[in-house]
Amino acid sequence: MDQIGRLLGYLKPYRKQVVLAVFLLLCVTCTPIAMPLVVRYTIDDVLPHKQWNALNHVFWMIIGLYAVRGGISFALNYLLGWLGQRVVFDLRFQSYRHLNRLSLSYYDTRQTGKIMARLTGDIDTIQYMVSGGFVTFLADVFSVIVLLVVLFLMQWKLAIAAVCVIPFYVLNYKLFIRHIRPLSEKLRERWDALLGILWEKLVGITVVKAFAREEFETDNVMQTIKDNFDLAMTQMKLNRKLGAFAQVIRALGTGLVLWYGGALILKRQMQIGELLAFNGWIASLYDPAVRLVDFNVTLQWAGAAVDRVFETLDTRPEIVDAPNAISVQEMRGAVEFQDVNFGYDGEHPVLHDINLKVNPGEMIAVVGPSGAGKTTFINLIARFYDIQHGKVLIDGIDLKQIRLESIRRQIGIVSQESLLFSVPLKENIRYGRKDATDIEVLQAAKHADLHEFILNLPQGYDTKIGEDGIKLSVGQKQRMSIARATLTDPRILILDDATSALDSKTEANVQMALERLLKGRTSFVIAHRLSTIMNADRIVVIDGGRIVDVGTHSELVARPGVYQNLYNEQYKSAREHSLEALLA
Amino acid sequence: MQNFRRFIKELRAYGRIMLLSVFLTLITATLSLPPPLVVKYLTDHLSTGALQNPSLRVNLIGIFGLLLGTACLSAFFGYWLSVCLTYLGQRFKLDMRRKLYAHMQTLSLGFFEKSQTGKLMSNITNDVAALDQLLSGSLITIVQDTVTLTAVLCILLYQNWQLTLVALIVYPIYILNYLAFIGKIKFTHHEMREQRDMMYGDLQEKLSGVQVVKSYAKERFEVRQFIGETRSIMDLNVRIGGMSTGLWTVAELIGAIGTALLLWYGGREVIRGTMTAGSLMAFYGYIGGYLYGPTLRLIQINDQIARANAALWRIFKTLDMQPNVNDVPNAQPLPPIQGSVHYDHVWFEYEPGQPVIKGINLEVKAGEMVAFVGQSGSGKTTLINLLQRHYDVTDGKILVDGHDIREVQLASLRQQVGVVIQETILFNTTLRENIRYGKLDATEEQIIAAARAANIHHVIEAQPKGYDTKIGEDGTKLSGGEKQRIAIARALLSDPRILILDEATSSLDSETEALIQEALDRLLAGRTSFVIAHRLSTIVKADKIVVMEKGIIREVGSHDELLALDGVYAGLYNQQFKVALEEHAA
Ligand SMILES: Nc1ncnc2c1ncn2[C@@H]1O[C@H](COP(=O)(O)OP(=O)(O)OP(=O)(O)O)[C@@H](O)[C@H]1O
Ligand SMILES: Nc1ncnc2c1ncn2[C@@H]1O[C@H](COP(=O)(O)OP(=O)(O)OP(=O)(O)O)[C@@H](O)[C@H]1O
Ligand SMILES: [Mg+2]
Repeated sequence: MDQIGRLLGYLKPYRKQVVLAVFLLLCVTCTPIAMPLVVRYTIDDVLPHKQWNALNHVFWMIIGLYAVRGGISFALNYLLGWLGQRVVFDLRFQSYRHLNRLSLSYYDTRQTGKIMARLTGDIDTIQYMVSGGFVTFLADVFSVIVLLVVLFLMQWKLAIAAVCVIPFYVLNYKLFIRHIRPLSEKLRERWDALLGILWEKLVGITVVKAFAREEFETDNVMQTIKDNFDLAMTQMKLNRKLGAFAQVIRALGTGLVLWYGGALILKRQMQIGELLAFNGWIASLYDPAVRLVDFNVTLQWAGAAVDRVFETLDTRPEIVDAPNAISVQEMRGAVEFQDVNFGYDGEHPVLHDINLKVNPGEMIAVVGPSGAGKTTFINLIARFYDIQHGKVLIDGIDLKQIRLESIRRQIGIVSQESLLFSVPLKENIRYGRKDATDIEVLQAAKHADLHEFILNLPQGYDTKIGEDGIKLSVGQKQRMSIARATLTDPRILILDDATSALDSKTEANVQMALERLLKGRTSFVIAHRLSTIMNADRIVVIDGGRIVDVGTHSELVARPGVYQNLYNEQYKSAREHSLEALLA
Repeated sequence: MQNFRRFIKELRAYGRIMLLSVFLTLITATLSLPPPLVVKYLTDHLSTGALQNPSLRVNLIGIFGLLLGTACLSAFFGYWLSVCLTYLGQRFKLDMRRKLYAHMQTLSLGFFEKSQTGKLMSNITNDVAALDQLLSGSLITIVQDTVTLTAVLCILLYQNWQLTLVALIVYPIYILNYLAFIGKIKFTHHEMREQRDMMYGDLQEKLSGVQVVKSYAKERFEVRQFIGETRSIMDLNVRIGGMSTGLWTVAELIGAIGTALLLWYGGREVIRGTMTAGSLMAFYGYIGGYLYGPTLRLIQINDQIARANAALWRIFKTLDMQPNVNDVPNAQPLPPIQGSVHYDHVWFEYEPGQPVIKGINLEVKAGEMVAFVGQSGSGKTTLINLLQRHYDVTDGKILVDGHDIREVQLASLRQQVGVVIQETILFNTTLRENIRYGKLDATEEQIIAAARAANIHHVIEAQPKGYDTKIGEDGTKLSGGEKQRIAIARALLSDPRILILDEATSSLDSETEALIQEALDRLLAGRTSFVIAHRLSTIVKADKIVVMEKGIIREVGSHDELLALDGVYAGLYNQQFKVALEEHAA
């Protein structure tokens, strides 16, 4: 709950507006106090003494009162609405910016659906609280204080009668809230889980359908929704019980006031108009108290939402620029690994004692069994993760001393799984360099052997490719990623199994273009099809997280080891068959 | 409006509980009526004039009892009313979500390709929630307030119809005011929702593609873009807020005029002696709390109705979406198959006018291994997607064991055709559950056997938690090849009669691949298999190699036949084995 205080901190930049709002709020709360006074005046003075003129005054008093109230409350509500939206805007913006700063390891362990929920549902809830419930709450607190003062000034005995039920209110509230709060929290968690599941199963619908698991999935999701339902019911019942008791307590208060007030009138210590005014006032006194219960529901939800949003904001990105980090303007492309050890969770090492020195302009191939650590190895160059031991140097400078952005701008990565966005082809290619001209985009597409295909589409470069490029074949997606990477003219290019879905002919075309394009640039290529990498300057063989061999193709093929085995396996059948063919 | 009619129809199933709610509403509404009458009683009995008259005895304890009694009753019934309403709303949400989600599940892949996942999500979550608000909040307010309004109007008219008419003079202005604002509010609301959906869609995409955003150091760009979107949403929201407040404020003002008129006119009557002060006070109480209040509330509800209307529209749009692939009315389940497949003049297009498969003819005998090679984008994946009937052919037909696949039950077909799709999709549970997805009632031994065959068992065993390791969303914590092997294990577990491997081993090194191949040969003996691969070593021993090019079949034959043909395949072969062949020749 103390997080709410922090939320209020977001109001600081709008201090002036807040002060104005508070002032307006004070003015507005005066109206419920004034109206009963008018009534009292009418009943006690105007009517018994038959003052016709005063009756006209009453008329204009009311109109004037509400005209002023209307003006002020419009201004107030508008202002508050604006403030709420503004705070939410700031919060959402900050959260998103922060999410963008967080490193990949954050995303590894969280479901996108849940991260989404922070930015959408949670923040919406907060907004609802800030510009809805919270304001009412403030107004209520104000009017309760003012009313109490007025009541005691008017008739302190009656005021005591009105106030004496308030402890019951508090007690009632305290008793119930203890049970409601944990439920709210649980409810929220379940809801989150539901979002996670929904998300995943909608994204993975292909698999669901391929295994004809539609019914199973529906049942599965329904189970979670059902859990939600049960919890919500329990929570709601408790809340309503709390409300029902509050209502009774309120009637008790009103009854007491009328009873005691009536007695006072009989004793001629008071007039009826005053009692009626009191009746009006205590309504304004108890109403907020009942509302407080409702506000409590909002507050529960919002409080939890605030907690989670701040939790996200408080997660520190693991990878940040060192305070004195430098920008490398023109990277030459020398990369050096010194005694690098790395594990994703710090406990189970994936890479051991990696030592490698790569000269600018070299093409380095990385091969090895699946799961050996190849992707991990090259991910370290772009500093997606920080290493626990050892150093990675680029152009002789420790990676941790260079500004992240300046490295990543100069490294082109085509990752194992192509990720595209649902914008037109052109924009996808241009993602790495927004200011590229159409001609440059076209060139990049040509290099990736895509130009012809795109031209054949009715909308050409403006074709929309669907979410994550779903309307393209996998090979086309890979080539899109390649085009996107080459457009940025990277000093270091990393191709992580980036041509696995290409036939050898297309692959050869792409490779030829890349060779020309990347003359003098360092490149890292991971591939399982050995024909892809045979003419690399050096081939690094990784097995079990260690570099087990380094050399050119002909060197490696000549000596027994992982590479030779892979080679034999891949060409065994070819040799056999060509032998047959020779014999035939 | 049409949407609402349909909505009401949906509500039929909840008729009983709704009736109960309405009944309870009537009770609580009635129980809320006494307080102004109490005021009247008190005023009439305790006014300065009345106090002179000793014959008028005032029963204060009775008043106290009455107030407390009605409050207790009203709290009791109110509680049950809330329970009913909550149940109704929650139940409705539950059923609606089930309906929506189940319906989405029946839709074919084409639908999902066109919709952003974020929007679908919001359909199930936000839109349904908006309906719940309408149902358990607004609808009841409408009933309750209408009841109160009528009851109070009757009481008032009966007591003093002239005074009532005076109080009602302002009503037409009320309504005019309402009409003046509402159109605009509705419109803006719609616009806002639309923008918000768009933002959600974008957001989701960029969050799942965060690796790309980071690779290109585009964080700042994305944030800037996001600001633009949220800012325009904020502006719209502020505008809506402004308009609603305006509507509300003016309504309140009009109400005040009515009250003022009442006190003025009623006051004259009291002075004249034609009415008691108590009656005036009762009027005052009823008008403020029971007439204008409910009317104001009814007006405010409109905001919610506008929202619900938009939600209804979207929900029904989804529900009305028909799957393009459907069981024909009297479809029979596909009996256990041998596994022969016949593509008969198959044409197919994703977008009208752009055929992707152009008249393919292909006979596959049961038990054969068929390999597909060919340029990227030539239609290989499409061809096998057709076999699982994710799409229907545009022309021609596909026969499995002589059954046209459009005439058998979809589920029975897919259960017998197992596929490892090109882009591996795994779920965020444990390794065991991911593999088990292929066969939900598989035993532990079967799971392990499948994992062994996919050559992933030893990797799983090496994990600290073994088969209980959670693998992160879409298997982020696994390497590319490990994911593929899990997917293979999953498909193997389902024990299909026809197995399709769409580049299922592209991320595997050849040695691992060979091990898997060996296991597959053993497990799939006698089963039909379709294998797509670019690494030719994967497919040299296929019974039949199909070379595709731009949607047609260029060559078919065994490896040796195709080499002898010296066509496209031979070209690919030479390209890939150039070095090896040269070395061999040397
Ligand atoms: N959902 C879709 N909507 C529209 N067009 C599509 C869709 N899926 C594929 N296509 C188009 O159909 C053609 C064939 O695609 P397909 O995925 O079958 O190719 P492929 O032979 O499997 O290629 P690859 O080897 O690259 O995976 C491509 O040109 C692609 O752009
Ligand atoms: N984000 C992650 N969190 C935890 N463990 C991971 C993560 N990514 C990979 N691993 C583990 O690290 C090991 C090496 O993975 P990596 O992706 O580097 O393999 P790879 O050599 O690229 O394999 P492949 O050829 O199959 O793609 C694997 O055992 C994998 O399970
Ligand atoms: Mg494909």
